[in-house]
Parts: sequence; C-alpha cells; structure tokens
Amino acid sequence: MSANGAESLQLPKMVSETPDYNDAYDAIIVGAGLAGTAAALTMAREGLDVLMLERGPAPGTKNVFGGVLYTPTIRELVDIDSAPTERYIAEKRFSMLTADGDETAVSVRPGAWRDEPHNDSYTVIRRRFDEWFAKQAVEAGATLITETTVTGLIRDGKKIVGVETDRPDGEIRAPVVVLAEGANSLVSEGADLKESPDREDVAVSVKEVFKLDRDTIDDRFRLDGDAGAAYHYFGDGAVGQAVGGGFVYTNKRTVSVGVAYRVEDAAQGQTPEETLDAFESHPAVAPLIRGGRRIEYSAHVIPEGGADAMPDLVHDGAVVVGDAAGLVLNNGVHLEGTNMAVESGFHAGKAIVSALADDRSDEAALADYPRDLENSFVVENLRHYDWFQQTIADDREFLFEDLPRALADAETEYFSMDRTSKDEHTDAARDRLLEAAGGWFGAAKRAWRFRRMLS
Amino acid sequence: MSTAQPQVPDVSIEDRLYTVKYRDAGESHLGVANPDVCTDCTTNECAKVCPAAVWTVEEDGDGVPHIAYENCLECGTCRFGCPHDNVTWEYPKTGGGVVFKQG
Repeated sequence: MSANGAESLQLPKMVSETPDYNDAYDAIIVGAGLAGTAAALTMAREGLDVLMLERGPAPGTKNVFGGVLYTPTIRELVDIDSAPTERYIAEKRFSMLTADGDETAVSVRPGAWRDEPHNDSYTVIRRRFDEWFAKQAVEAGATLITETTVTGLIRDGKKIVGVETDRPDGEIRAPVVVLAEGANSLVSEGADLKESPDREDVAVSVKEVFKLDRDTIDDRFRLDGDAGAAYHYFGDGAVGQAVGGGFVYTNKRTVSVGVAYRVEDAAQGQTPEETLDAFESHPAVAPLIRGGRRIEYSAHVIPEGGADAMPDLVHDGAVVVGDAAGLVLNNGVHLEGTNMAVESGFHAGKAIVSALADDRSDEAALADYPRDLENSFVVENLRHYDWFQQTIADDREFLFEDLPRALADAETEYFSMDRTSKDEHTDAARDRLLEAAGGWFGAAKRAWRFRRMLS
Repeated sequence: MSTAQPQVPDVSIEDRLYTVKYRDAGESHLGVANPDVCTDCTTNECAKVCPAAVWTVEEDGDGVPHIAYENCLECGTCRFGCPHDNVTWEYPKTGGGVVFKQG
C-alpha cells in the first residue's frame, strides 16, 4: 500500500480530492517529528503499512529545540553515520551568571567523548535531521504526506478509529493512531486524551541562530574537526528573575543561542525578547556571538511537568508519544527530550506491532507500550528528578541570585592580589559563601535538599 | 561586581521576525474565545508572553487584543499564558504558517 512512499516526500500538488486511504494503513502517525518517525520506522520494519501525516511542508519545519540530540536509540534504528549531524559534543560547560556580569563555570571535556561514538551526543538542525529521519522511514516502507493537518479523531463508540484532516474529504481510518503531535497537542487535548498542561508546568524557549565562519567557531570554542560545545547557563544573568536557563550550542557554521524559562515568569512581565536580549548581551555570552549574523529567530513551549504530569499513554485505538506525552527531562544538568521522544516512539511502535499481530488495538492490547516505557530510562529518569523543578522554584532566589553572586564575590576575594595574607582572604571568601548559604546549618540543609542530584 | 553596563543588542522584534520564513495561511489560526473576558482583563498576559509581538492591546481601546497572526511562530506560549483560558489556537491549515530552517 505504501509503495509510493518515496514520491510523497516531494511537495504535494494541490489536491482537490483526497484518495481513499481508509483502512489502507495499519496505523496513522500524527506528526513526522522524532517520536512519530521512530514509531513509523519501527512498525514499517516489521512489515506494517503506516501513514505519517505532517502539517508542515516537510518534516522539521515546525520543530524547534535547543540543539543537542542524544542518539543511543536512533543508532539502533538507522545508520547514524549517514545522518546530517552538525558536531559531536566534545565539551559541556555549566556556568552561573549574575546580572552584574560575573561568571563562574565548570567545563567538562572528557577525552573519551572525542572517540566514536562520541557519547551519542550531537548538535543537529531539526529541519535537516527530521527530514532525513523521516526519509529512512519512507525507505523502510512508510508513507509520508506533508502539508496535511490532523484536526480531530474519529471514534466508533469509545474506540478511536481514525483521523480527520484539513484535506477535502479528509477522513482516514486505521486500527491505531499514534499521537506524535508535539508540545501543542491540540488533537489529543481536543479528543480528551489528555488535559492541557498547567501554566506552571510549561516553559517558553526563544532561540536565535547566528552565522559565523567555521574557523571562528573553532577558535572561540576551542574546537577542531567535528568537535562541538554545549554551554548551559544559570542564574539571574541568564534568565533574570525567572526560573530557567540559557544555552549556547555550536553547529557546523552557526551558533544556537537561547533561553528557556517558565511561562509563569513571562506572564509576570519578563518578556521572552527582553530575556534573550539580556542573555545575549551578558559579558560572558556576547563575545561568543560577536559579529555573527542572525539567520533565524524561533520559539517554542516545552512541557516540563515531569512524571506527575504525564497523561495516559494508551487508549483504545491510540497511543501518545514524545512531547505530546510530556516526555521532557530538565534537571538543570540534563536537558533531554528528543531522545525520550525516540524511545517512546520505538516502544509504541513495538507494542502496536504485537497488538495488531493478534488483530487487536484496544487499550489492553497496547499496554506493552506504557509498561516498556515505564521500565525504560525515560520514565525512570522523569520519576527520579520529579522533585527538581519545584525545589528549584522554591529556592530560586538563593540558587539564581544569592549563590552566583556569593561565588563571584568569594572568587574575587580568594584570588585577590593585595598585601593581605592568603589566610585572611580564604577566611573572608568562606564567610561570604556561608553567609549566602545561611551558615553551616543552612548549607547543610541545602546540601540535604539537593542530595538526590547525586543519589 | 562590575559597573560596566551590558550593551543592549541593537535588534528589534521586526529585525528578528524578518529572519523567519512563513507561508501565509490566508486566515488567522488564533483568536479569543470571549472578547468580554479581554475587556475585563487588566494584565494582558497574552502580550507579555508572546515572543513574536503577535498580541498587542491598545492603551485606550476596548481591551481586546489585536492579533498579528502572520507573525506567529506557533510556539504555543499564549495558549498557556492566558490565565482565563481565553486564547483559541489552531494549527494553520494545509502547510501554512511558519517554516523553520534552523529549528
């Protein structure tokens, strides 16, 4: 049924009448992003006829992410060596910024990351990567139709039996629908498969991509070959009074710069544009992008509700994967989502294959998907760090303002060159840190609160 | 602590949006569910949270925001930003709207 899949990658002509796709497919995938394509690929490899519906003119045209893709699962599905990656991550840098221009940073550059498979961490541009990934699914037998928006689900009683699209006569029926529609999960919400996330559980991210010479990027970030850097920033120098962070990622000939913080904070009046302006003009950041030409501005919401906010993943005739299922991890040190999207699509695809082998597609028959995801790193990590977002928000002033400032003061004191003894400077530096932390007792309390970062 | 003032980037929202490619869908995919709710709203979160200056509320108007849907980055922030759940948001139809190249 999907023999024409390869042709459908090209821009569709104006269609006045939709061909009859009813029951031509075993599964319909809503959204050809990473989760949807991973599901399609998994099913197509097992011989299922699958239809991917993408609302953009090509996969990746509606997608925005920070920039680093973790590829352990993708590697299992495709030949990653032929993928359009930008650079592998050779350095991770974690940096605290104050609004006064101070920076305190830790840089990690393990030698092992320079060797294949580079810790499975690469910067990618979604427009290129997602289209390539979808093409792998098409080559495996999936059909891709672009410029087609799914507007609702068709039910037969309680069971989901297909999708409505914005094409003329655009109803398409199939035993299973995979909802891989991303963070703005209008179809899932409209069909009451999930509630719209709470404002406190959603972050807004704005990003700008700057064009620079490859040599300039290599020199500024101390890179060579395909090596790249991932810089993460915290503190009020990164996102002002908000809870969140900033990032700088190197691509081949561009640098991606952005901030992500709670919509709640934006609603209080700290606008995304102002926040990005302040971050880009911080003395620790501005020199990295100096002289770069802005080539694209973008923005997207990020679901950050963690395991508690995860909707039901499986329904009669449907599964929810990727960002639509809220599968994003942000614990300050690890920022992950696309790898979890791929993992969820992979498990969903497998579960659908085995359910359809029994000629079933009800919720119980698809239960392998939530079970396997629950046993995977995805839900395990989400549960492990479920405490994090709220703890950070509760301690924002200390973590984002007092601590970065105290560190900067203590460093200034400790390294101060004058005619006072090192002993006195050390004492003064320690006192400054203790003062910010609330004394030995306060420091111990905070260490206890954040112990789970290392447990 | 440094006394050096950070330089404010010489870039406007118009400059930023100029870098973005769009296909005009011809009609707005955004709206308000109940204009009266906007008239009573004094906080205008829609305008504060939008990264693309889509939502603007005139000082002396009726409080109902003007919606420049053609600027929309389809980020979805307004969906969550409005505390009255008064934003109506659909996907632009048949491939319309923003076309990211560097997302």
